[in-house]
Amino acid sequence: MLNFRDYLDYAERYLRRAEDEDVGSEDINWLLIPATVLAWTAIESFVNNRLDDYGVLPEDVFELHERAFLLEKRLRFVDRGSDIGCFVLEGTEYHRLEDKIFFLIAKFSSRGAQNIRGQSLWQNFEEFKDVRNGLMHPRRDTEISLGVEMIRAYIQTTKAIIQLVSEHIWDKKVDF
Amino acid sequence: MEIKFDENAVYDDEIKQAVIEFLDKVSTLEAKHQVPIIVFQDGTQGAYYIKCSLLASDAAKLCDLNAKLVANKPESLRANRELMLSKSTYLKMEEDAATGREFNDIIVEYTTEYDPATPLKVWGGQHRISAISRTGKSDRYHGFRVYFNLSKNQRSDLALISNTNIAVSNDTFDRMVEETTFGNKLRKWCQIVGLLGEKEDFPDTGARSEKITVKRARSFVVNFYLGKERGKQLTSEDLDLKVYEPYLASTGVIIDQRYAEVMRDNDILAGEDLITAGKKFVTLHKVQYKAVTSGQSSVANRKAYRNKALVESVLCGWSYVAGLLQSHPERLENHYRVPKTTGKVPDPLNAQEMSEFKYDSDPPTYRGLGTRSSAKDRQRIAQLFLAKSLEKNPVIDKNLMHKAVSQVEWIIRRPQGYA
Repeated sequence: MLNFRDYLDYAERYLRRAEDEDVGSEDINWLLIPATVLAWTAIESFVNNRLDDYGVLPEDVFELHERAFLLEKRLRFVDRGSDIGCFVLEGTEYHRLEDKIFFLIAKFSSRGAQNIRGQSLWQNFEEFKDVRNGLMHPRRDTEISLGVEMIRAYIQTTKAIIQLVSEHIWDKKVDF
Repeated sequence: MEIKFDENAVYDDEIKQAVIEFLDKVSTLEAKHQVPIIVFQDGTQGAYYIKCSLLASDAAKLCDLNAKLVANKPESLRANRELMLSKSTYLKMEEDAATGREFNDIIVEYTTEYDPATPLKVWGGQHRISAISRTGKSDRYHGFRVYFNLSKNQRSDLALISNTNIAVSNDTFDRMVEETTFGNKLRKWCQIVGLLGEKEDFPDTGARSEKITVKRARSFVVNFYLGKERGKQLTSEDLDLKVYEPYLASTGVIIDQRYAEVMRDNDILAGEDLITAGKKFVTLHKVQYKAVTSGQSSVANRKAYRNKALVESVLCGWSYVAGLLQSHPERLENHYRVPKTTGKVPDPLNAQEMSEFKYDSDPPTYRGLGTRSSAKDRQRIAQLFLAKSLEKNPVIDKNLMHKAVSQVEWIIRRPQGYA
């Protein structure tokens, strides 16, 4: 199974190839687009795996709504049948990547959540997200122009976001 | 004082003068008792030497551990290996020196060509010299061979032969110390449960053998009793919310203290619960071994896979959990059941996937679950077997590994700690 290091490695390999090809006017988007998507996937892989880590802990460790969030399931109040009057988890309810990050930090950080949104890292993350979303959900009226420097910065943002989460929940940096 | 040349030694006046100078400057037991000194000559390289005894206090003052192969060249570096002062064998040597152990055949060269204040250049026995010098508690006579007027080639040969020894493994030390201290109890226990054959003994070198070593058998026994004590203190609700630290018995000439305590407080040959645990463990080991070696399995027939149960972290973790669950019989029954196998997981311990397992916070160099003896690995394996004991017949698959390791990591980091 691939992990965040694998996705990051693939993104960097595409970037290196793009750097080698970036000598003339030739279009290198075929390398920059996968590099961008893979770098984003590295964050998703890391964050989702952390939710999985906590999702497999004994049920009584978390409140039901927290388990629903960890497992990306819907919380429903049952008004009929044998479970009448109870809350149950069912179906799927996806959450935004940033919400998952906020939850992990708020719930598991030993230092408590700081004003993450106010940091320059978060502005970089938002910019990265807009570009990635533009690539994954293309529209005729949305023009995205990519460059080697941009992708290099996105990969740095990826690493910094992973370290941010790691330092909050594990009190240590991960090795890339 | 009389100086004689042995019949195999060719008389040499320079050598005789050197011996006289040595005896003038250094006090020996032989001089004290007016015993004649014999000069010998080595048949291979022709080097001359005498045998004598020196007091520890004199030796400590006169010996030089930084012997040089080329005496008159300042750039000639010390030829001896580094002292290994933290090794258990050395610590035992120091302990012995303090209580009056008399050492023999310490090999030195007498020369005043460099550092004349310490004319006895040590070529063999630097650890013994260090031990008697550092303790300074017991001033006994120790046996020396003192060489004179060595040529470069003779010195080099002496350095080589003095540092050639047949390495004795810690497994051999363990076996000897075990036998001396506790007789054959541990071996007998291993034979009863099936870890050793009826007339088998522990191996000399565990790394080259596929048999259980003294260290591992001790670890099994200690962990069982440690787990048993811990289990008595915990309710079934608490069991899965703790991190456990299975113990790895130390090895070498000094007997592991925890093991010694366990052997003092328990009769392992009479402990039915321990014997049952041992037998169940052997069943797991045999099924794992057979699954990997049968030729019908997709798992590579590697020593590390077929002997997965005997890997230190696996053995310690399994045994600790067996002890822990003595007070929780339903889960004990689950623990004793050999893990289920499937088409995808053909061996009960799923050795290959265990060795490929990695948690995201692990460094890239982490070698996989149940592959090493580190405390982290032992903790994780204990949690894995504990998680397995929650169900009647689970497969040890990636999900179970992930669940167990996630749990350890979470418990370790939660604010209230994990004790």
